[in-house]
Amino acid sequence: MDLYQRLKSRRLLVVTGKGGVGKSAMTAALGRSLAARGRRTLVLEVDPRENLHQLLDVPPSGGEVTRVAADLYLQNLKPKAVVDWLVDEKVPIPMLARRVKESPVYQRFVEGAPGLQEMAIIGHCLRVVSGQAFSRPRIDTVILDAPATGHGIYLLTAPRLFAEAITDGPFHHLAQQGADFVADPDDAGLVIVTLAEEMPVQEALELRQALAERFGRQPDLLITNGLYPPLPPDAAGAGDPLLELWRRRRRINEDELARLERDWQGPKVELPLLPIDRGPALIGALQERLEAVLLGPRGAA
Amino acid sequence: MDLRAGRPPFLVCVGAGGVGKTTLAAALGLLSARAGHRTLVMTFDPSLRLKDALGVGAAAHGEEVAVPYDAPGSLHASLLDPRKTFDRLVARYAPDDATRDRILGNPYYDHLAGHLGGILEYMAVERLYEVARERRYDRVILDTPPTRQAIDFLEAPQRIVSFLDSGALKIALKPWFDEDGHLQPGGRRLGFIGRGLERFLDRVVGLQLLRDMSEFFRAFEPLFDGFRQRAQAVENLLASPDAHFLLVAGPGEARIPDTLFFARRLKAAGWRLGPLVVNRVHPRFDGGAEGSSAAERDGRQLFAWLGERHARGVDALRALLPPEQQLVALPLEPDEPTDLAALEAMGRRLQELLRSSATDR
Repeated sequence: MDLYQRLKSRRLLVVTGKGGVGKSAMTAALGRSLAARGRRTLVLEVDPRENLHQLLDVPPSGGEVTRVAADLYLQNLKPKAVVDWLVDEKVPIPMLARRVKESPVYQRFVEGAPGLQEMAIIGHCLRVVSGQAFSRPRIDTVILDAPATGHGIYLLTAPRLFAEAITDGPFHHLAQQGADFVADPDDAGLVIVTLAEEMPVQEALELRQALAERFGRQPDLLITNGLYPPLPPDAAGAGDPLLELWRRRRRINEDELARLERDWQGPKVELPLLPIDRGPALIGALQERLEAVLLGPRGAA
Repeated sequence: MDLRAGRPPFLVCVGAGGVGKTTLAAALGLLSARAGHRTLVMTFDPSLRLKDALGVGAAAHGEEVAVPYDAPGSLHASLLDPRKTFDRLVARYAPDDATRDRILGNPYYDHLAGHLGGILEYMAVERLYEVARERRYDRVILDTPPTRQAIDFLEAPQRIVSFLDSGALKIALKPWFDEDGHLQPGGRRLGFIGRGLERFLDRVVGLQLLRDMSEFFRAFEPLFDGFRQRAQAVENLLASPDAHFLLVAGPGEARIPDTLFFARRLKAAGWRLGPLVVNRVHPRFDGGAEGSSAAERDGRQLFAWLGERHARGVDALRALLPPEQQLVALPLEPDEPTDLAALEAMGRRLQELLRSSATDR
C-alpha cells in the first residue's frame, strides 16, 4: 500500500512535534486533503484556546462538532468534557450524575489525576470512529492536533500506563481499549512535524525512538516544514547581509536535513517556507504541496 | 532591568514552547556571571549542543555542574528531571523508611507519578524552593518547562496549595478500605446499602483504582504539610520583588494573542513582568527584489516578506501593550548560538537592546 493510501486508511492520525513547528497547519492541510478524497474526517483540537477554526475558515466550535466542508469536520475538545460524558453514561440517574460532576472532589480528580486527560482524549477518538460518541456524522478518520512532543508521547502511552496501573474495573477496560487502539498498526498512525533546526529534529528523533521502544512502531510520516530555499549558486553579492543570513540559515537547514537523511528511516516530506500569512490560504497552499509530494503531479491534479 | 546589577535575585524566563527560552536563559546566565555574580541556570529542555556547551549533558539529572567559563562570578547549570526530583523529595521528607517505601512502591506512584503532565511543574517548584533556601547563589535564572500553554508552571504552587486545602484530600485520606480490600463503611457499618455502594463504585470507577489511590494518598499524608508549606513559600517568592519574569515570545502576528494572554495573566497574578523579548525577529532589508535569477528574486522577496511581517507583529504587539511595558525585538542571528562565546554575545546584545529601549521611554 502506498503512503497516501496508508494515511487515508487510518482511523486515527496523531500529528505531533515541538511547539511552533506548524502542527496545527499540517493537521488542517491533511484534514482537507483526506476529506477532498472522500474520507470523512474529523480534525480534533485539544488546546483550550481554539485556533484551528481560523485556519479552516469557520467560526469557533466551542466544543461542538462543526462542519467545515464536504466530509470535513472540526471539534475543539476539552478533555474534562469526555470524563463528564463518561459519568453521564455510567451513572444512569441524571440527578446523581449532576451531583457527581458538581462535587469538588470529582473536579479535582479530573484536573489532577495524572494521565486521565490524555486517556480521555484517546478514548474520545476511539468512540468517535466507532460511532459511540455521536452517530452523525459518521467519521472515518480522526486527525488529532496533539500537544507538543513532550506531552505527545505521554498522550500515546497514557492509556497503557493507566491500564497497567489500574489492573481491574471499568477504567482499566477503557484504558486497555485505548491502549490497543493506539498500538494497532492498522488503526493508528503518527505524523511528526519538524523544522530543519537542531531542537525540533532532536525531538522528532527522540519521539521516533520512544515510539519504537514502547510500541515497536514507526511514524507514518515526517514532515520537515518551513525550509529556506536553496541559495542560487550565482547569487554572489559578497557583504550583502540578506544573502549572508539566507546562506547561513539555509546551511542550518541543510545540516539538519543531512542528519535526518542519516538517522531517519521512513517516509519524509519537505515543505518550503511560504510567504503567505497564517490562514486558509496558507492551508490550501500546504495541502497542494503535500499532495504533490505524496500523490505525485498526476494525483494532485 | 540591568543584569549586571545584583537584583533581582530570581529571574524566570517564561513563554510558549519553541521560542528560545532556554538559550536566552543560558545567555543571561553568562552575562550575570560576567558581572561577578554567583549564578545558577536551571533548565528543562536544552538542545544537545547547549547541553554540551553548559556541560550538563554528561551530569546526572538535577545535579548542579560548574560551567567552565572564565568570569569574575561563577556559573552553574542544572537540568531538571521530574521523576528523580520527586523520588529524592520523598526520600528526604518521608518521616521514616517505611513511609518512603510505601510511597515509592505504590503502583499508582510508580506508573503515573513520574511520567505525566503536571509533575514537571510541581517538581520545578520544589527545586526552586531548595535552591532558594540554600542561598548558594546570588542569582538564579529559571527556565520554565516546555508546555504549550506555558502558564501551567506558574499556577503549580497555587494548585498544590488549593488541592491540599480542598475537601478532596480529606476524603481521600479517610480509611476507606479494610484489610480485605472491602469498602469500610460498606462492609461494616452500612449493611446492604454499603454493599450496593461498593458495587456502584466498582462499576463506575473500579475499586482497584480507588484502593491504589487511597493507599497512595494515605502513604503520602505525612509529607503533605511540607508540600503545602513549600508551595506557599515559592508562591510568596514568585510574588515578591525578588522575582522578575522575562517573557519570551515568537515573532509574527499569529503569536500575539498568546503573548498578550501571557502578559496579562502574569500581571493579573501580581507578578513582576520585566521586559518582553520578541525573539528571532527577521531583520528588514532595504532594496527591492532584484537578483540575477528568478530563484534569487523569489528568495529576496521571501526575506523581505518575513522582515515586514515580523516588524508588523512587533509594532502591533507594542500598540496593544501598556506604554510602560518594556519590549525589545531580538533579531534572528545567522547562526544558532551553541558555544559559550556566542551565547555571551547574544546576552550582550540583549542587554544593549534593553538599555537603549529603557532610555527611549
